[in-house]
Amino acid sequence: MGAALPLGQNAFAADNRRILVVVELTGANDGFNTLVPYADDAYYRLRPKIGIRANKLRKIDDQYGFNPGMAGFERLFKEGQMAVVHGCGYDNPSYSHFTSAAYWHTGVPNGGESYGWLGRLADTIDPQLTPNFLVNIDERQSLSVQAARHVPVVFDDPERFGRKGLYQSRPLIDKDLSNNAPSSNASQKFLEDVAQSARQASEQVRAAWQSYKTPVDYGILPMDLPKVAAMIEAKLPTRIYQTAYRHNAFDTHVQQVELHQRLLTYVSDGVSGFMQDMKRIGRDKDVTVMVYSEFGRRAAENTSLGTDHGTANHVYLVGHALNGGHYGQAPSLTTLNNEGNVLHTVDFRRVYATVMQEWMGANSQSLLNGKFEPLSVFAA
Amino acid sequence: MAKATGQALGVKVKPSGNRQVQQVADRYLYWLRASRLETHRLSYWWANRMLTSPRPFQEKMTLFWHGHFATSEEKVRDYRKLYVQNNVLRQHANGKFRPLMVAVAKDPAMLAFLDAAANLKGAPNENFAREIMELFTMGVGNYSEQDIREAARAFTGWNYTDLKFVINPEQHDDGLKTVLQKTGNFNGEQVIDILLAQPVTAEFLAGKLYRYFVREDLSPLYQQQLGKLLRKSDYDMGVLMETVFLSKDFYSEASVATRIKPPVELLISTYKKMGLKTVPGLPDFNQQSEMLGQKLFYPPNVAGWAQGRSWITPGLLLARGNVIYDTVYPPIDFVAPDRVPNGLYQITSVADQLAQGQDITTATKPVGKSMGEMSMSNQGDRDEDFNTRLASYNAWRKAIENVKPIDRSPAKLRLSDMLRQAKCKTTHEAVAYLIKRFVSVKVDAGVQAQIADMLSQDLGTSDLAAADSYMEDALRNTLHVILSLPAYQLG
Repeated sequence: MGAALPLGQNAFAADNRRILVVVELTGANDGFNTLVPYADDAYYRLRPKIGIRANKLRKIDDQYGFNPGMAGFERLFKEGQMAVVHGCGYDNPSYSHFTSAAYWHTGVPNGGESYGWLGRLADTIDPQLTPNFLVNIDERQSLSVQAARHVPVVFDDPERFGRKGLYQSRPLIDKDLSNNAPSSNASQKFLEDVAQSARQASEQVRAAWQSYKTPVDYGILPMDLPKVAAMIEAKLPTRIYQTAYRHNAFDTHVQQVELHQRLLTYVSDGVSGFMQDMKRIGRDKDVTVMVYSEFGRRAAENTSLGTDHGTANHVYLVGHALNGGHYGQAPSLTTLNNEGNVLHTVDFRRVYATVMQEWMGANSQSLLNGKFEPLSVFAA
Repeated sequence: MAKATGQALGVKVKPSGNRQVQQVADRYLYWLRASRLETHRLSYWWANRMLTSPRPFQEKMTLFWHGHFATSEEKVRDYRKLYVQNNVLRQHANGKFRPLMVAVAKDPAMLAFLDAAANLKGAPNENFAREIMELFTMGVGNYSEQDIREAARAFTGWNYTDLKFVINPEQHDDGLKTVLQKTGNFNGEQVIDILLAQPVTAEFLAGKLYRYFVREDLSPLYQQQLGKLLRKSDYDMGVLMETVFLSKDFYSEASVATRIKPPVELLISTYKKMGLKTVPGLPDFNQQSEMLGQKLFYPPNVAGWAQGRSWITPGLLLARGNVIYDTVYPPIDFVAPDRVPNGLYQITSVADQLAQGQDITTATKPVGKSMGEMSMSNQGDRDEDFNTRLASYNAWRKAIENVKPIDRSPAKLRLSDMLRQAKCKTTHEAVAYLIKRFVSVKVDAGVQAQIADMLSQDLGTSDLAAADSYMEDALRNTLHVILSLPAYQLG
């Protein structure tokens, strides 16, 4: 498959094997020290202490080089399996993790919206409400998977995704304990459906996890990607996964250099390991991984050898089916706003439109409540 | 800044030596930590009030407004402001909307949450103006971006000093504004009046209250009628809710026991039905409610908590049962989250290394899993203004010292007493009694019989008198099974 075949929107729409895995780097990853614009002197002027010297970088072309810890991302890019979208952000940027994350989760910057972008996507492309279609692996449910109709499967530890209960109560709580009499109460019916789905999902997720064994090295901290791989290998019908590098880990205000490199190594090893694992089980052409943060960091370093909250950032799309390379336009490092932040060049909803429309086969205009032009990442 | 002025946050800068502003960083992080812990205590205070108040409906309305005027400690970072706001919401909970809206618009927590300090004459910040129209009064789609920009000007200069509302006259733009076709030198209160004059505002509020308290399904016609009623009563929420609760609709089959209890309400009503007089300290109320998706004073975003069916996911439904399990069988390995730091900033490791005489740079070096990098940590004490990890450790230590611990008593559950008082003689009567007491929906007789059989088997008899001295644990197991019925989420 890949770029060689004519993959129009309809071809994608018809393909229900395609999977989207979202990895959120919480705390706002420093994009400038992830994919370094080493040919731009302004970068070194802004970051005299924490700027990474060109000879240390993993160069991918005559402009950019990945952080020294990111061998996996370097390889993915060079093999044409990574699209870097530069300058993603939105108007009137919020500098609060909390607020900006909600904007990204809903796909509605500077607004209130109850449902997440992945939840709305699931409702649109799977109107028949397939069980286990939408999965979120985390301590709690992300707003991004909140849906009007789908019941996202949310769990953290597959071993613990289950009902507590003593031995003598198991026959009752593990099977249908619901009211057998026909019920006209729609809420009760809904709850029984969810209970049913919880029993199914928890059994399947635990079984998938228990039977999963991989020779692939995911590195030291693989996030939740092996759990995703286990579920894909077990052939669960899930098409949307939301995961995160948790706990605001990327909020590197102080002494960031070594810490940040370590975090990036974990992400890079985890994502490239995951893609290798997909290849092992023969699904590498069916999976796209999207890696993003709620915002980027300030262009200039701060006085604590770290970086403060910023605006525009890269989004990394990884997969076999996409056209690798650079997309969008890198924001200028010399034209900054009042807070010293770069100006975004790509509305992040264009990336959403790209994966919604070109990868998952949904009409992004109605889902995003507006026209956002997809990038040519998946074009033939 | 501290270095230039010689002091900040009431702490002086060290005149010489390394880490001259360490104390300022300590004080700042201490405040953040203490405020978080105090907020957890505040939610215990509120939960206990919900459990024991002689006016429980007022507390339910206060919780409704907490979601409507969603304000989070995550951004406000001052539990005192949240306490003040909570009392404002309670004071007006069942009263008229205008005084509530005005009080919230002047509430320091809300002003902090929606960036009032950045809303200045000549450089208006639209955050509050947008939310007041979109989320607090009219609902999305009933105003233009121009209306928001103009309204924002009317609120310029509204700010707070500590816990007090202030208007900064130099920052207030008193020029002509046009909001929703009305033109004048409006101030914030006058803009609120313009918003309340819109019929759509009354419909928006009435619809939201109805959906919250009755059911999600509401016809446009009935919503209009409720909106009219609300406007006619000068936005008296008490009048609206009384009408709703006395209506035929409220007692119709479509309404009765179809509402999914929000997590906090589920927990509190469970404690009440269990006969508890205080909210259990073990397991932790905040962890439990957070696990179910509704942590008090931490709404997920400005839109508040999505209600209704969005409270239920497979994981969350299982968690609702597991919360009951942990309440009837309190975990014996419980660690109080207000006493022991989580792994986030590796505070415990910093504390350990300081105790072993490490210098501060070495002791505060981030600990990774990679052994290869350990060799790089053998550096001398670093020259710096302050050290954030040291400040985190100091902040924790001081917070442990100063913030009162939460009482960690588990639920004082006495199910045996409850059933003795109810004069239940058999296991079947016991199950019937517990179902009637706890569950709002009718439970199938076959299911009841199955549960009773389990209890009989557990006790070795169906005669409660024979098992009187040892039946407590088996009754708790029975209660866990009953409260794990999907139908228990309704009411």
